[in-house]
Amino acid sequence: MQIRTAWEKVTWSWNPRGEREAGDSIVRNLLLHWFPAKVSLPSLSFRYSLWLGTVAATLFFLLTVTGVALMFLYVPSVERAYLSVKDIEFVTSYGWFIRGVHRIAAHLMVAVVVLHMVRAFLTGAFKNGFGNVQNRPLNWIIGVVMLLITLFLSFTGYLLPWDQLAYWAVTVGTNIARAAPVVGEGVRYVLLGGHQIEQSALLRFYVLHCFFLPVLLLGLFAWHMWRIRKDGGLACMDQMILTSPEEAPASAGQKTYALLGITAGRTASVEMSAPGDEQHEVAGSPNLTRRILLVALVTVVVCAVLAVLVAAPLEQAADPMVTPNPAKAPWYFLWLQELVTDTTVKLGDFTINGALIGGVLVPGLLMLLLAAWPYFDRSSPLATGLWFARERRTQNLLFLGIFVLVLALTAVGTFMRGPSWNFYWPWEAWPDIPRNF
Amino acid sequence: MAANRDTLWIYVVGALLLLVTVAVYTQYFQPEWKDYQAGFHDLIEEKLGTQKAAQAPAGLQQVWARQLDRVDRCTTCHTGTDWAGLDSAPEPYRAHPREILAHHPIAEYGCTSCHGGQGYATDMVRAHATTLEHWDEPLLGKELGQAYLIGNREALMEINCNLCHRFDRTTAGMDYINRGKELVAAKGCRACHTINGRGGVIGPDLTYVGDKSPEQYDYSRMSGVPSVFGWHLAHFKDPKSMSQTTVMPNFGFDSRDAQSLAMLVMSWRHANLPVRYLPGAQLADRPTPEELAKEHEMMTGPGAFFVQKTCFICHSVSTLGIESAANIGPDLADAVADVPRRFGIPLESFLANPTGTMSVVLSTQIRLTPEEKQTVIEKLKIAYQKKQEQQTKSPQAVPKT
Repeated sequence: MQIRTAWEKVTWSWNPRGEREAGDSIVRNLLLHWFPAKVSLPSLSFRYSLWLGTVAATLFFLLTVTGVALMFLYVPSVERAYLSVKDIEFVTSYGWFIRGVHRIAAHLMVAVVVLHMVRAFLTGAFKNGFGNVQNRPLNWIIGVVMLLITLFLSFTGYLLPWDQLAYWAVTVGTNIARAAPVVGEGVRYVLLGGHQIEQSALLRFYVLHCFFLPVLLLGLFAWHMWRIRKDGGLACMDQMILTSPEEAPASAGQKTYALLGITAGRTASVEMSAPGDEQHEVAGSPNLTRRILLVALVTVVVCAVLAVLVAAPLEQAADPMVTPNPAKAPWYFLWLQELVTDTTVKLGDFTINGALIGGVLVPGLLMLLLAAWPYFDRSSPLATGLWFARERRTQNLLFLGIFVLVLALTAVGTFMRGPSWNFYWPWEAWPDIPRNF
Repeated sequence: MAANRDTLWIYVVGALLLLVTVAVYTQYFQPEWKDYQAGFHDLIEEKLGTQKAAQAPAGLQQVWARQLDRVDRCTTCHTGTDWAGLDSAPEPYRAHPREILAHHPIAEYGCTSCHGGQGYATDMVRAHATTLEHWDEPLLGKELGQAYLIGNREALMEINCNLCHRFDRTTAGMDYINRGKELVAAKGCRACHTINGRGGVIGPDLTYVGDKSPEQYDYSRMSGVPSVFGWHLAHFKDPKSMSQTTVMPNFGFDSRDAQSLAMLVMSWRHANLPVRYLPGAQLADRPTPEELAKEHEMMTGPGAFFVQKTCFICHSVSTLGIESAANIGPDLADAVADVPRRFGIPLESFLANPTGTMSVVLSTQIRLTPEEKQTVIEKLKIAYQKKQEQQTKSPQAVPKT
């Protein structure tokens, strides 16, 4: 062992010298033991995964930090919530910035999680490859559940400022949920703690938002990452077996994988692992950790800059007697609201229940289809971890088609629905909002 | 190598993050209000010297009118509100007119309850809120007064005055509102409209019409920016122009009258006012003039001694003008005759050696020196004499004791 300075003793695992230290650092550092000792180069590529998962995780971390700071300042009471947010904006040192970052990170997280899902679909990352005991479809389902929790987290947080925007967005959202058959009313009642959006709703949403949902998400995140390791790494790993089958080392048959080999049986990474194979693999510490740091920094900078440039809105205090015109759901549910409008069709005396069709059945079916898709997928393992694989062209196009439709509905709901939910072309001016003076 | 590229990018992005951090950090130290406070400091130094200037406020200022649930930070910039000698200083340093502050102290009313605006804000644009999208309680000051061509540019504020002074017939300093109230009485609005529980039902109940949301008005016949105040102005000037099916007659109001009425109706809102904020509300249990006179008489008249010595708590001395509230003991006007009747000893002896309750009272609660006891006897003799004189004039039954 070389003599080390105190500084080196503390920091060696983050900047290991040589293969031996790199391997050591993974097992001897509490924070690093989470990561794989070796990472394949394709996995590290920006172009493959776009690192959206890391961005989402960083955003979650940012949200937690800013969220905890806000918890010292915000009061979840109907009488004081709005005013406490005003005080955060005007009086608390950097309160506006903490709130701004929290809001930007929240919106970005919904967007990034959705994009991460799109990437995972388009690369067939929900598919099993050539490994023995892979279960990527399970990880995909975990991911879908995490997406739903992210949406719910954003929705519960949306109510907390208790301004007109918050109150009526939640009114729209919970009224759509009410349309679910059999359970609709019950679910709404449990969510709101009553029939109206009042103190019990605010408190419930607050507790869900600050504790239960983040803890649940964290648990699922841990499971999600665990599954990655068990499945032998990112899906692009399974492509590597196709490019370098001749490099399977003779010793691979005799090695046991009891300790570091978390995978039972042989996966792609095991098949092609050879000592010092720098062509395909590099040490997790520092290559993976360095890249994570870079992605995290970029995410933080983007959030900070956006928070400075875009002020977090705070409309008038919530007034159950006055509905703003138009009253819109949060942007990630606007496609639902638009769909509800479009499926509420009058046929003579009868009106189709758009809330049920467009608000519950269609999105419900889409979600189920999304979650179950890996089991409908008929393509071969050759298409695992490949962008726009030929084999999966049809399903990719279908998926993209639905995604673009959802985006279009969101755009219509955002930009082309004005007062009284009337349709306005982008070039048509909306009427002035009337004021007292 | 990729590693070096990553490291380079980390430094670049890190530097960017550092820049953003420094930018955000430093802007905190340069808020708008610091400039105003510095200006005020200079003004005071120039006018009143350095020592006074040291007393100029520094930092965020806040008035919390708890009972009205208002938090106003206007005094952060409007630092001269309470200072003498700044009556003609430029805004925002001008002193507030004194007279009205005597009846409406800032500590109890805040600022926005009269002037409007967003008290929570700490910069001018958001505090005055004349053009803010999501705060519809703008500063009712010169800017809006100008926009609506009100003769007295600052009169719009009277809308807020009337929230409390609603039930006054007239109030000093509220010319437009007073005129409006005059017109309501003179033109017979109550013939069709119910106002404060009285009136007709042909038109809508106007008692809380000021609470109506701006979105509930029909602006289709209005030109310009849709506003409630504008709607009322147009409606008062010509009701049919705003509402085709109305039966409300055209009263031919001129601009000033229309403005007065518009301001009046916009002031008709729900206001949960604590009692102490209601004009003319009596909070104290105030004595009547007769009660005051009686009190004065008791304390300075012939029986004053019995008040000073607290005998009057239990005993009246009727002929000396002393009335007890409790009347636990007998009327002492009779004592000269009554004591021998009850106890078989003269008054002097009883005072020297009291029995029963009086023994407790005179030994613990009311200590009389020998001279004082002598005074008691003398006064009670006078009282008895007066009693006898009274009885000869108008014979009465012996009072029950």
